[in-house]
Amino acid sequence: MIGTVAKQEWRLLKADRTLAAVVVLMAAMVGYSLYNGSSWVAFQRQTLGAAETEQAERKGKLLKTLKGIEEGRIEVKGTQDPRSAASIGGNSSAPYLAMPPAPLATLAVGQSDLYPYYFKLNLRSKQAILANDEIENPTNLLAGRFDLAFVLVYLFPLVALALGYNLISSEREQGTLALAMSQPLTMREMVTGKIVLRGGLLLGLVVLFTFAGALLTGVDLGSSTVWLRLGLWVSLMALYTGFWFGLAVLVNSYQTSSATNALTLAGAWLGLVLVLPSVANLVATSMYPVPSRVEMVQAMRVAGKEAQSKGSMLLAKYMEDHPELMPAGEKPAADFTTLSYAVQMEVDKKVEPVLKRFDEQVEKQQAFVEGFKYLSPAILAQTAINDLAGTSLGRYQHFSRQVDGFFDAWKGYFLPKVFAKTKLGSGEVAGLPVYQFREETDGDILGRVGVVLAGMLVLSGAVLWVGYIRLRRVSIS
Amino acid sequence: MLQAIGLSKSYGAQTALDGLNLEVKPGEIFCLLGANGAGKTTTINLFLNFIEPTSGLAKINGLDVASDALETKKYIAYIPEQVSLYKNLTGLENLDYFATLASGAAVEKSRLVGYLREVDLPSGAEDRKVSTYSKGMRQKIVIAIAMAKQAKALLLDEPTSGLDPKASNEFSQLIRKLAGNGTAILMATHDLFRAKEDGSRVGIMRQGRLRQVLNTDEFGHADLERIYLEHMHD
Ligand SMILES: Nc1ncnc2c1ncn2[C@@H]1O[C@H](COP(=O)(O)OP(=O)(O)OP(=O)(O)O)[C@@H](O)[C@H]1O
Ligand SMILES: [Mg+2]
Repeated sequence: MIGTVAKQEWRLLKADRTLAAVVVLMAAMVGYSLYNGSSWVAFQRQTLGAAETEQAERKGKLLKTLKGIEEGRIEVKGTQDPRSAASIGGNSSAPYLAMPPAPLATLAVGQSDLYPYYFKLNLRSKQAILANDEIENPTNLLAGRFDLAFVLVYLFPLVALALGYNLISSEREQGTLALAMSQPLTMREMVTGKIVLRGGLLLGLVVLFTFAGALLTGVDLGSSTVWLRLGLWVSLMALYTGFWFGLAVLVNSYQTSSATNALTLAGAWLGLVLVLPSVANLVATSMYPVPSRVEMVQAMRVAGKEAQSKGSMLLAKYMEDHPELMPAGEKPAADFTTLSYAVQMEVDKKVEPVLKRFDEQVEKQQAFVEGFKYLSPAILAQTAINDLAGTSLGRYQHFSRQVDGFFDAWKGYFLPKVFAKTKLGSGEVAGLPVYQFREETDGDILGRVGVVLAGMLVLSGAVLWVGYIRLRRVSIS
Repeated sequence: MLQAIGLSKSYGAQTALDGLNLEVKPGEIFCLLGANGAGKTTTINLFLNFIEPTSGLAKINGLDVASDALETKKYIAYIPEQVSLYKNLTGLENLDYFATLASGAAVEKSRLVGYLREVDLPSGAEDRKVSTYSKGMRQKIVIAIAMAKQAKALLLDEPTSGLDPKASNEFSQLIRKLAGNGTAILMATHDLFRAKEDGSRVGIMRQGRLRQVLNTDEFGHADLERIYLEHMHD
């Protein structure tokens, strides 16, 4: 019975050219979005490539100079000693720390264009290299670029609703409902046959386009993590399709006209996809307001001025605490560079509470939005897709932690040498640690996306369930 | 085959059907007559389980339609007042769909075309879209569906309204042929002439009540009109 209805649906879709329209529309949207995604990834790769070349050249030049000095071919002139720890750690051998595009990055830009994806290391403040992850304006947070994720999360539901808004109402309006219902066929079977075909077709197109897109944009289909991610992607889309068709069934169960159904569903789309996310952000930012950036900058400035005025005192105190750093047989050098590092450390200490408060509030906001996302399948889908494509906040934070660790180690190595005025040789420079981005594990991804999938299953299941319960009471005459 | 026992339907204070008792035997054509709003469509919808009775039973082949809806629908065919089909599909595709639903299995194309010849659909028309059909042609498709289903009972709601006299006559012949094969037929109609001509019995309804049942061989055409009008006037 369900199969018979599905076959009939196929005929109907073919006959009124809906099918052709859907395929063309989807292909155009997906094509454009993949173009956007791959140009963004190409741009990132190019930038990172250039940074790497520059870094290698810089280090090569430094090593040559150091060897020259060591072999007595080059003479050190002026105040700038290329062997000084401040110069080597803060500039000439400072590496770029980069987060390369993830395997499926061409499919979703996500928030990767809001967050820096590479930093040039220095010996100064962390704030100088790390941007803060404040929640940005909601359209940025959710919509962003016209990438495949945007097409699937925001536009795809409209296509699904266009195919589902008149599941029952069209049969009623063209007068075929009574004839069908006078056969040994239940309303539920009929609706199931219809959504199995329409939803299945749509899902089939999504899978086809996603895989074609992955192939065309150079995603490595030989890797197991790519297959895991694509598998989760398809499961997510299946549940997401189920949600929108479930909503269509629910609305149709109220026996209103096709026009009313279309309006109701368009309203639901607007609410779930656009309004709810904005409300989430609005509530989050008013419940947990972050200290303004002006306040933060002000605090840094005040601390900076104060520290500056007692710079030599600070340095003296530091040296008292770390007598082992006293340059052999010298007075503590109160030269500009050393002083400025001492000042910097004091400023960091002073500003820390303000920064901490800022971070805490942002974290609370994120936790709130995190909980709120279970109300909207669109937010859920977007989060999962960003995780799968590796353009999520989660991966950025993963990167950010790596940067923190490397930065601390780097400073821990160089700063004592700055104060002790140690000079580095080519051997030490060649042996400096190299940063390599560690990708999130499949387990990390599975954990985060699994929770979202479960949430989506509950949402889709709930609308379908209520819709199907109500179908029993739909009258035919 | 078709049986109504104290069958009633109310919409709030409004009684659409009031204690209907009726039986239509295999091979019999029972014509329901009555003014607009008399309760004819309500009766048919109750047999189809499209609406629930307020009280009483509607039975098909001995089964209560309210508790055995799916099973009873295997025995009946229905021709609605507005014969609507899928306009963008051909007559044959429409027949194929409904016949498959009706019998629960695919029906061979040659058999389907056979039914269409039997109902006298102009040959070649079956491959045209239904949007190009006349009402009579659409009705023939629906009758072919009933034939393919080999239904034991047929429910018809004003089937001849809007048909020209020739089409109406052709339709009557098909109905009689089905009755001749043992199908029980319940037909709501305003056409006194066809009721007298085709029916085995006629029932006159008014305000939800079945006022009188007559055997068609016991009176003439003129008598039927007189009796009908008498019921409508008092
Ligand atoms: N859904 C409904 N809600 C309220 N009243 C209804 C409903 N359906 C039918 N009725 C009422 O029930 C009564 C019987 O209607 P029914 O359609 O059975 O009449 P009918 O004999 O088929 O008339 P017609 O010859 O015009 O087709 C009418 O008074 C009608 O207004
Ligand atoms: Mg009627």
